[in-house]
Amino acid sequence: MTQAVTQREEHFEELREIAAEVLEIEPEEITDTSLFAEDHEADSLRAIEILARIEKKYKVDIPQSELPKMVNLTAVYEIVKQHANWQD
Amino acid sequence: MNRRVVITGLGPVSSIGIGAREFSAALRAGRSGISPIASFDAAGFPHYMAGEVPAFDPKSILQRISPDAWGRTSQFAASAARLAVEDSGIDPTELSAARAGSSIGTTGGESQVLERLTGDSLTVGFAGVDRELARQVPASRLAVAVNRELGLTGEAITLSTACSASNYALGYAYDQIHTGDLDYMIAGGADSVGRWSHAGFYRLGALAEKACAPFDRDRSGIITGEGGAALFLESLESATARGARVYAEVLGYGLNCDANHMVAPDPVSIAQCMRLAHRNAGIKADEVDYICAHGTGTPANDAVEAKAAVEVFGERPPPISSIKSMLGHTMGAASGFSAIASVLGIAESFIPPTINFRNPDPQIPDIDPVPNVAREMTVNIAQVNGFAFGGNNAITIFGRYS
Amino acid sequence: MSTGAIAITGWGVLSSAGIGADEFARAVTAGRGSAADVSEMFEEPVPRQDAFALVDFKVRDYLGRKGTSFLDRSTSLAMVACGQALADTDLVVDDSNNERVGIALGTTAGSVKSTSDYSRDTFVQERPYLVNPLVFPNAVMNCAAGQSAIRYRLRGVNTTVAGGALAALSALRYARNLIGCGYADALLVGTTEEFSPQVAWATHFAMEAGGGDLAAGEGAAVFVVEDADAVREAGRRPDAEVLAIEVGLHVPADEATAGPETDFSESLAGCVVRALSRAGVEPGEVWAVASAENGMPLTDGFEDRAIRAVLGDGPVRLRVKEFTGESHSASGAFQVAALLARHRADPTLDGRVSVVTTRTSDGAIGAAVLRGWSRGVE
Repeated sequence: MTQAVTQREEHFEELREIAAEVLEIEPEEITDTSLFAEDHEADSLRAIEILARIEKKYKVDIPQSELPKMVNLTAVYEIVKQHANWQD
Repeated sequence: MNRRVVITGLGPVSSIGIGAREFSAALRAGRSGISPIASFDAAGFPHYMAGEVPAFDPKSILQRISPDAWGRTSQFAASAARLAVEDSGIDPTELSAARAGSSIGTTGGESQVLERLTGDSLTVGFAGVDRELARQVPASRLAVAVNRELGLTGEAITLSTACSASNYALGYAYDQIHTGDLDYMIAGGADSVGRWSHAGFYRLGALAEKACAPFDRDRSGIITGEGGAALFLESLESATARGARVYAEVLGYGLNCDANHMVAPDPVSIAQCMRLAHRNAGIKADEVDYICAHGTGTPANDAVEAKAAVEVFGERPPPISSIKSMLGHTMGAASGFSAIASVLGIAESFIPPTINFRNPDPQIPDIDPVPNVAREMTVNIAQVNGFAFGGNNAITIFGRYS
Repeated sequence: MSTGAIAITGWGVLSSAGIGADEFARAVTAGRGSAADVSEMFEEPVPRQDAFALVDFKVRDYLGRKGTSFLDRSTSLAMVACGQALADTDLVVDDSNNERVGIALGTTAGSVKSTSDYSRDTFVQERPYLVNPLVFPNAVMNCAAGQSAIRYRLRGVNTTVAGGALAALSALRYARNLIGCGYADALLVGTTEEFSPQVAWATHFAMEAGGGDLAAGEGAAVFVVEDADAVREAGRRPDAEVLAIEVGLHVPADEATAGPETDFSESLAGCVVRALSRAGVEPGEVWAVASAENGMPLTDGFEDRAIRAVLGDGPVRLRVKEFTGESHSASGAFQVAALLARHRADPTLDGRVSVVTTRTSDGAIGAAVLRGWSRGVE
């Protein structure tokens, strides 16, 4: 259990890093539920780039049709988890 | 000086026809110029269709410059210019002795030359690339190629304002003749397809798989295209004096900038650009008979363009069709081809269709996209929309000369 | 006619010789400026270890982190220069007039590195479409003008002129036309060029072919341009009035044998004559010529011959590239900036007339006539 929680947190932190870099803000500014578009001025290009970096990092294919759902960090995590078969 | 400016020659080098006659027939027939990509290895690209011009043979058109010394986009520009001049019937010797120049729009310039150099550099390094090819990279060479092909000593300006660039070029050419700075201008645009732009649009999710279906409910994006579009402009006095056939008159143009987002178009700013164009052309919105749309076929562009049209024209905007459905998105040449199509429509009383149209989009119910079949009708005034990355909006207005 | 003169009411510049109008002016007056070690700037090899590059330039130092991490160098330089120019002018730009204020920026081929890197990614990535969407606009030539418009909220005409060495004069001419025809009240006009391995190699090839040895440079210069009559009527004193800009193309007699070494001197001389005539200025009034000479003996010789044929040996010659490098489109704006720089600190030159000349290897030629004034107490 402890293992799983750690893994989950690690993934969250990695995703937070990626989002922060693309959104040009500090990782701390992105909470698990803050909205990329409304709170962090993300546009469609940045959303696509976040997706692209995730695909590259985890060697996973995520269809662009998932983009509209990727509104915040938690949503991103859940989508990646599903496509990458994470057992967090 | 305030001279009236008319168009007396057309030179399309396009995937649906080379020369005014072929191009006009293709527009009327609603022909598609889209085919599987051949000019680069499209392996690995999920979408592999483009509007290339396989029939383009620069050697058969160019008379002065040697195609070997110029990149493909310059060849498009110079060939289109040569055709426009031939179409105008002006004596080429007389033209080269006159105050004449060119303004050519582009998105990528000679980026396919740079792409080849980049590809070569992966094996031989930049140090080992073809030095002659490296000389062909500057985008200024597009207009220079036009001038050198025709022997013109006046200004040769390349306007690289991306996908509305031909309209910028037309506007500037119009001013040069209107004010008396120059007497003859070749205006238009040119671009070539390439891996980098194909990849970029695909990555943006803006590339359709097989067909471009502007204003359709299920439209899914652009098809990249290429070609050269040139129009021959002169003063009305000059055209009348030499008994030239006048296709149409350039009434004016409008330019502005969204200053908001590099990629996402802004309906308020575009509506404003339409009003500017109408005001500068001295017309009222309800005088416009036909709008040749920017109509890229992306969900965002067509929705925004339709919204802006309704904002300016009210609930029943004039017919608005997109020839990108046939040509694909020819980038910097796009509004040049639209201008040629509109000018032909004015001269020959028809408007080109939006092909690949299946289902009306309930989000834009007021739009008449001239679905699939060209329409015979009198066009007294046509409006050509051009929008671009960087929020570079440019709209030209053409009128029947009588 | 759309031939009213235009006025420059403020300017900004980033070059290896100096950043900002005042620093640049001091450097030009002292003839200061040298190439820097660029061996650490890029991973890819460069043909020589020195260039007139802004090695330490980082856009976030000027514009902050937000919105700047994905900008290309060419765009970054232009954006900073636009900001400097707006800070240097007494023209106030706000929501009440920004629809009438635009941008006309010159380039050679945009951010060549961005476009080349984009192509490169399509070759080397696992799949050819695995490119970064955020930098796609950087690969398109109008990026600098578009981003600058967003940054400074300039909603007027926004144009990019691809003219290489001629781009600065073309952009000024373009702006003069817009203002003269009433499409705009003011424009930020200039050029931008980045240093990159691609540019370094292209410059190196050109220098070898032309027998020169000048290193590549980079930078941007941007001028705030307004209608000269309007500025005068408002009782404002501009840095300069651009009295005439004439451009054209030297067409080789025989295209089959034409190379970059075709003698353009007569065409350029004709261009200078037309510019002086349009400006209403006698050759004897000209105190300085800022030329495009770059150390290539043959083409420098043609340019020099054209200048001497019209203006004689009298005027001071400013060979701007000697201390700013071969910066392609940016060099044209540096030539104008160098003249403004000499005026800025020297009231004895107030009202004097100078000339800019340029040429490209493809036969494009241009000349401009300026009348400049100093800053400071009137």
